[in-house]
Amino acid sequence: MFFISKQTKEITGRRSSFSRFYQWQKIWMILGLFLIIIFFVSPIIRLFLLSFMEQNTFSLSHYSQILSEEKTWVTVKNTLYIVSGSTVISLIVGITLAWVMAYLNIGGKKWIQLFIFLPFIIPSYITTLAWIQLFSENGPVASILEIFPGDWKLPNLYSMTGIIVILGLSHYPLVYLLSVELFRKIPIELEHAAQICGAKKGKIMYKVVLPLAIPGISSGGILAFLSNLDNFGIPAILGIPANIRVLSTYIYEEVVGFGPASFSRAAVLSILLGGIAFIGLLIQWLLLRKSRVIETVNRVTEPRIQLSSMKKRFIEIIIWSFLLLTSFVPFLSMGMTSLIKAYGLPFHLENLSFKNYEYILFTDSKTISALTNSLKLALLTTVVSLIIGTTIAYIRYKLPNKWTKLVELLITIPYALPGTVFALSMIFTWMQPIPGWNPGIYGSIWILIIAYITRFLVLQVRGSYTALTQIESSIEEAARTSGAKFFVKWRKILMPLLLPGVISGALLVFLTSLTELTVSSLLWSTGAETVGVVIFNFEQAGYTLYSTAFSSLIVLAILLLGIFLIFFEKIWRRKVLKQVDSA
Amino acid sequence: MIQLNGISKSYGNVSALRGIDLFIKEGEFIAILGPSGCGKTTLLKLLAGFMKPTKGTMTMNGTIVASVDNVLPPEKRNIGMVFQSFALWPHMTVYEHVQFPLIHHSFAPKVDKKWRDERVKQVLRMVGLESFAQRYPHELSGGQKQRVSLARAIAPEPNLLLMDEPLSALDAELRMELRKEIQQIHKQTNASIVYVTHDQSEAFAMADRIVVMNRGNIEQIDRPEIIFSRPKTEFVATFVGKCNFVKGLWKDGRFIPNQFPNERWPDSGVSSHFKKRGLYPVRPDQWSLKKAKDGSGQGIIKFVQYQGKEIHYIVQVGEKEWTVHEQIQSSTYLQEGDSVHFVFKNKVRNQEAIVI
Repeated sequence: MFFISKQTKEITGRRSSFSRFYQWQKIWMILGLFLIIIFFVSPIIRLFLLSFMEQNTFSLSHYSQILSEEKTWVTVKNTLYIVSGSTVISLIVGITLAWVMAYLNIGGKKWIQLFIFLPFIIPSYITTLAWIQLFSENGPVASILEIFPGDWKLPNLYSMTGIIVILGLSHYPLVYLLSVELFRKIPIELEHAAQICGAKKGKIMYKVVLPLAIPGISSGGILAFLSNLDNFGIPAILGIPANIRVLSTYIYEEVVGFGPASFSRAAVLSILLGGIAFIGLLIQWLLLRKSRVIETVNRVTEPRIQLSSMKKRFIEIIIWSFLLLTSFVPFLSMGMTSLIKAYGLPFHLENLSFKNYEYILFTDSKTISALTNSLKLALLTTVVSLIIGTTIAYIRYKLPNKWTKLVELLITIPYALPGTVFALSMIFTWMQPIPGWNPGIYGSIWILIIAYITRFLVLQVRGSYTALTQIESSIEEAARTSGAKFFVKWRKILMPLLLPGVISGALLVFLTSLTELTVSSLLWSTGAETVGVVIFNFEQAGYTLYSTAFSSLIVLAILLLGIFLIFFEKIWRRKVLKQVDSA
Repeated sequence: MIQLNGISKSYGNVSALRGIDLFIKEGEFIAILGPSGCGKTTLLKLLAGFMKPTKGTMTMNGTIVASVDNVLPPEKRNIGMVFQSFALWPHMTVYEHVQFPLIHHSFAPKVDKKWRDERVKQVLRMVGLESFAQRYPHELSGGQKQRVSLARAIAPEPNLLLMDEPLSALDAELRMELRKEIQQIHKQTNASIVYVTHDQSEAFAMADRIVVMNRGNIEQIDRPEIIFSRPKTEFVATFVGKCNFVKGLWKDGRFIPNQFPNERWPDSGVSSHFKKRGLYPVRPDQWSLKKAKDGSGQGIIKFVQYQGKEIHYIVQVGEKEWTVHEQIQSSTYLQEGDSVHFVFKNKVRNQEAIVI
């Protein structure tokens, strides 16, 4: 016994700091979980509790009042109507594109994919501005309609239909992404087997392909549903002028209205909105649990149906017309508007100038300060998320147990919640972090920093986790048996291999925080405006030329960043990872 | 010198290893043989230091390196490891792979760059890759990749080499070629080797001793020829020797099979485990078959499988199916449905066996 204990001491003395970290594992885990509960869970609890508070006592008065108002039910009805309508559009467009991309031998798939992903990185409020310009009195659609005889009316975007269509077109990439993977994973042998059994093509589609695709399609649909529910920019820009309210804009109006009970009323509405979102999440969870069946199968990337060149051309033309019409022409017309000297003038050479850009860049200090704020916020959020998020991802990857799974679930909550609900919970939590003590976080840029990190951390965790799972565990084990200690292992082996994946996660965090609107529209204060807030305020105040000019700048910046990332990744893969281009 | 005392490892309710005792001598080549899920990979990971045992201790050269409370991590052990999937780093050249442990390994001699360069070249020569030093992994074939992995593992001259099914990702011809190279390296390095495999021919070809594992237990540790000729348990007898188990009675050191009550089989080192259970493990090559006239035989041939040098017969005897392997030249071709007699080959040496 004596011998053993003496020997054991000897190893303890030589242990590295990291193995000591393992020894402290329990303490670290408890501390981490505690912090995560404070930052990620307690806001929701506070929001929930506050909806029941009246003068510091428990009461249902806010509920009974709000639920008895007719306005509430109109809003709920609008919300459900708009969200289901736009989800149907997302589903139809997303599934069709996914099927065509997975099954048909059309050309230029890489470019098509790039165009489909554009709505992911261009914020929806900017897209909305672009669509408004496309259909404006002096816009391209109006001038085309003038050529045709007869009295053509421009479609009115400030309407239920307008909101539904633009929401649907903004969120179909979610459906596309989930279904295209699924279509590719359906084993081609299953179709061959059905063919040998004598099934016709239509029957195979209906009896074999669709039933297998349904889990992915429906979870894509739920994701689109949640995004449509969460969206604030589109219903705010199009709905508020037309007096059409949905829950997210109604909460916004309550909070900025500063009525006597506005925060409590907003809290009750948030519980309503959160409840609808929760039902969606629950359905998604149930569906994902069922869809594990074909996860292990190899992907098929070659097209399964070879079209004749005539048919192929025809389908290519349809797809490109759709993509250009929805993802390019609106932005073009927005860019055109931004160059016009005074709103209402036709697009003629003598009416064009860079005056609007000059104004936003040099005359109005608000835009530059908003740009600086957003850049600072985005950078800080990215760096903090990069460090914390990658650490969490690494721990989750190394210790796949129920605790780390719980952590992942908890940090997803702020992102899964509708933005207005989340923003309100941030106000409640950080206005007085400890009841009675107001450190001035709310009303300064700090609440935005905390909110962004809390909301977007999960994006980095997912990005880094995916990058980690691409690396076989033996790669790391080989480094350790070769004697690499913690820092050498990270610097020489893991970092170079992880970097492209981690960076694309970080870029997503950066872009999302740079152009964020929903959360900042409720949390901004004077001196702490963000890009989204300034563009939104320009639009609300009727300064269309400035809002389009600023938006055009942002779109250009986003595209440049995107191109930079694509090149960086290509070069990194070729120069550092020595991979040959597979495509 | 490595000593494992009652090592157990469980994940939640599932135990992967149950009380393993093992002693590995210096310079010894040990093969760990077993079906998938028998715990052999877990044992290797414990030897490397990737995980902590849930019970027991492990000593290397007199120091405890693993116990329930503490584990010396792999980067502090004097080991090298070769992986089934090669585990090459895609962003490093062959040269950098071999150089890496020379810089970082705790037990590699601390020397100047010139000596290190010499050593890298020497190791690359040993595995026949000196002209590939500047290549990247994606420019190598499977066999070359595994040679790099091997070179990386032996470069710092560890005194324990761990190999996790190193040849199973390669095709048959390469496997044979690399077997020789691993044997050659074993001779040159003096390191103990623990070689995990599910392929018994690899284990038999290279190992000094074989550890047969099943369901987290060690079934038998012995020299290859003993494992083959004197299996200790049913598992070893079936997994290694593909034995048929004949029921009968052990009496005065001889065996009276129930099926053939007139025969007496000699004790060729049958373990007490079988004796207690009244069994005799018969390898398929210990029998030969003789065609019986008019269906008076002891069994009927059910399947005939032609295997090149041998023919395998599956014979129905009562409710059992027994397997017999016959050399091609020694047998007349038997057909499915033929009635046959079993001739126990060892019996011939003991004339008295037939008498009664």
